[in-house]
Amino acid sequence: MKPEDQRLTREQVGSIVKMLGLTTDREFNCGECLQHVSEFAEFQLASKPVGEVISKVEQHLALCPECREEYEALMKILKAGQ
Amino acid sequence: MTQNEINWPAALRATDSGEQAAAVRALREQLQNGLRIALNGRSDVSEAHLEDFAQESLLRVLDRLDQFQGRSKFTTWAQAIALNVAFTELRRKRWQDVSLDALMADGERMTEPAMIADDVLGADEDRTRLVATLRHAIENDLTPKQRAAILGELREMPFDQIVELLGTSRSAAYKMLHDARRALKQRLHEAGITGADIQNAFNL
Repeated sequence: MKPEDQRLTREQVGSIVKMLGLTTDREFNCGECLQHVSEFAEFQLASKPVGEVISKVEQHLALCPECREEYEALMKILKAGQ
Repeated sequence: MTQNEINWPAALRATDSGEQAAAVRALREQLQNGLRIALNGRSDVSEAHLEDFAQESLLRVLDRLDQFQGRSKFTTWAQAIALNVAFTELRRKRWQDVSLDALMADGERMTEPAMIADDVLGADEDRTRLVATLRHAIENDLTPKQRAAILGELREMPFDQIVELLGTSRSAAYKMLHDARRALKQRLHEAGITGADIQNAFNL
């Protein structure tokens, strides 16, 4: 890899800054997110307000691209079944 | 009875082997259909992959049956697990050749000024100060493994791969990353840059 390719891009530095802005002392990890994401997805699909516990899912999804990818795929399946 | 009306946990635990086998078959089919919808259009996923993912997912769901608390439909809960199984495997294949040494070396380079250009977020004075503070914090407040883990995240390396490379557990790796983010945030806070400032002024 060339040295210039190793530089962090604007998007990557932006991602760090964004992650720091969203960081809280107590947050869900990926396992906790997976435990609650089905509930969160159904609330989102029904446009219902989410409670305090599953609002942590939303916060985790904003920080974790992998869980977000899986959540978006879940929403795709749920919407196809409507 | 439609599939929405099935009491899945009871059917999957049924003592009648015929009833249980029918529920297992129906759930496997439902998971595979969901995965087909979710992964439609991906060139790295064949019908054989979908069958493997569905089977592996089924075993995972049966293993975790006691964890289902009824806060969502059972099938939504099971499908979330199936997606986790499938995406984890697809990400693992993509990143299996990356070594920890290479990632650690790249992580160390994160502290070099050239890795984060002063004006990467623009020439605005506040943003330049933010970048300088961030670079200083990455250099002084993080361990080499924390730097490597954050770089892995930025490069969208799967979390399971980061865990494997660091030779630790998922919870320890998550704590390592969380501690790193908190340390960087604290340093920005000490420099007078708060989380709200970041979200408001650096809405990227």
